[in-house]
Amino acid sequence: MIDGTAAHLVVSGITKRFAALTVLDRVDLAIARGELVTLLGPSGCGKTTLLRLVAGLTLPDNGHITIAGRDLTKVPPHRRNVGVVFQSYALFPHLTVAGNVAFGLNVRRRPKSEVAAAVHRALQLVHLEHLAERPIAALSGGQQQRIALARALAVEPDVLLFDEALSALDRNLREEMQIELRRILREIGATAIFVTHDQDEALTMSDRIAVMNHGRIEQCARPREIYTRPASLFTLQFVGLSSRIAGTVAASDNGRIQVETPVGRFEAAGTLAPGDRAIVATRPEYLRVGSDGGGNTATGTIRTIVYQGSRCLVDVEAASGQSLLASLSGDQAADLSTGAPIRLSWPVTETFAFPAPEARP
Amino acid sequence: MSARFAIAIAWTAAILAAAFLLLPLAVIAAASFSPTPVFDLPITGASLRWYGRIGSLDGFWPALGLSLMIACVATVVSLILGTVAAIAIAQGRMPGAEAISTALVAPLMLPGLVLGIALLNYFRALGLTATTTSLLLAHLIITLPYVARTMIAGLARFDFTLIEAARTLGCSWHQAILKVMVPALAPSYLTAALFSFLASFDNYPVSIFLTDARTKTLPIKMLQYIDEAPDPTIAALSTLILLATILLLFVSDRVVGLHRMAGTGE
Ligand SMILES: Nc1ncnc2c1ncn2[C@@H]1O[C@H](COP(=O)(O)OP(=O)(O)OP(=O)(O)O)[C@@H](O)[C@H]1O
Ligand SMILES: [Mg+2]
Repeated sequence: MIDGTAAHLVVSGITKRFAALTVLDRVDLAIARGELVTLLGPSGCGKTTLLRLVAGLTLPDNGHITIAGRDLTKVPPHRRNVGVVFQSYALFPHLTVAGNVAFGLNVRRRPKSEVAAAVHRALQLVHLEHLAERPIAALSGGQQQRIALARALAVEPDVLLFDEALSALDRNLREEMQIELRRILREIGATAIFVTHDQDEALTMSDRIAVMNHGRIEQCARPREIYTRPASLFTLQFVGLSSRIAGTVAASDNGRIQVETPVGRFEAAGTLAPGDRAIVATRPEYLRVGSDGGGNTATGTIRTIVYQGSRCLVDVEAASGQSLLASLSGDQAADLSTGAPIRLSWPVTETFAFPAPEARP
Repeated sequence: MSARFAIAIAWTAAILAAAFLLLPLAVIAAASFSPTPVFDLPITGASLRWYGRIGSLDGFWPALGLSLMIACVATVVSLILGTVAAIAIAQGRMPGAEAISTALVAPLMLPGLVLGIALLNYFRALGLTATTTSLLLAHLIITLPYVARTMIAGLARFDFTLIEAARTLGCSWHQAILKVMVPALAPSYLTAALFSFLASFDNYPVSIFLTDARTKTLPIKMLQYIDEAPDPTIAALSTLILLATILLLFVSDRVVGLHRMAGTGE
């Protein structure tokens, strides 16, 4: 699938309803062996439900799930060999750390020596060998998180699933664990799905990000592509900052359109027909001060300047209160001041156009 | 000064209350060692002769056997039924879960006599005449509320994600229940089993309606002995039952701790 390798985990046409509520609507997703895909989306969009379907903890109404070519749609969770790290970690309180990590192997009735070796290896991987005999209650949040991971790894699952596995950790520990987790997953070459609603986490960790909304995958692509080539208005808005201007398509020619807006006329790639309502948008990084930043230009007055270390985020008020966000380098922002007039420009190639969402009556 | 006075009063009240509750037990225990058939104060000596007579009471062993058997079977069956019902209620996806849980616990609030008469009529209407079977069913109704109440409370605090975690690690559903839920709920099980066993073992008002001339439970038999021959043998038997109960509580406390069993611990 990716880089020509065959897909390891395939979700095809999955639909899931709870009573009248359609939580997943014909979801397709193919993940290569060893790839880490993040499900990113707002609360209630169906991320956990999709994960539970892959684990077999919920059954779909329609569609299929295959791992390594084997159809698992109706296979119960204990015969799937899919590991899950739960948000609450779900460690067994009546067992020690080693007892938790050994649990899956003991259920499989592996010989004692083999279990001991696997437990040691899994604990080594998460750097917690020294805690083997501790009771679960005597662990910190970060340690519990790693033990939950070690427990899932010990049985060598085909696929690993993480449901907001890092969200209970404080910021520093979370960032440390993101890097750590990436290292461990690379080391064992596991195929993984990672659920989060933290977009920075998604951008840092993933090989690909699947942006979900209302039970559908809006776009599944590499982090860079999600950011620079959002396929829908939702992706554009949900991941990263952007300037968005509503207008009407004035001309359409050969994959290029002209959109007339209160701020000016902008050119963008797109196939909308003349007369269509459209939103033109761009990312703050593409805007430059002056006229030589590209084919689209706009003028306004500076509303706020936010210093972000090496760069500055400048909010410009253009015609009819429209806001434009520009992320400028230090020397570009050096002689700007709030209230001053400014001219901004950006390349046509970095300008997106989407059909405007229909106004709800 | 006044605070100290209040504390002193509270302590006195507590000691008096404890004495009031425990004194009858002390009298029974003292009477069981009486050297004479009629228990008199002051005590003039001690003897174990009444303990020796327990075993030769007419129909003692069958009654003890029946009571133990009924208490054990009723406890085991209500542990299983109570757990299953409590799981259904705790999962909370069942319509009317609240009503069902109230209905399960309701017999606790019924006077035993009412329950006994109701069951007698009910079993007659069903044509159920076998004494042991009707006793077993009746005691199941007595013990189930104790178990259901304890298990519902225990399961309300149980994290069902643990079951799902066990499933993804290779456990079938019943394996997950046995390997994860049962150990995590061990204190609840022990409490439920204790209450259930004791409620069945010393039940009189329900059993009295369902026994016949040949099949009698121990409490009924004991009352009959008192009517027939009021000597200290019954006091000796009561003291033994008291000791067995204390031993049971002591062992349970050692295993899980009474405060955990009562649900008052952390
Ligand atoms: N067992 C269930 N019964 C009924 N509705 C459910 C059930 N599980 C989930 N839902 C509904 O399905 C929708 C999607 O839930 P899901 O847990 O998959 O969302 P999510 O994307 O994981 O959200 P979050 O980021 O808040 O965890 C929600 O509207 C939720 O209320
Ligand atoms: Mg979720």
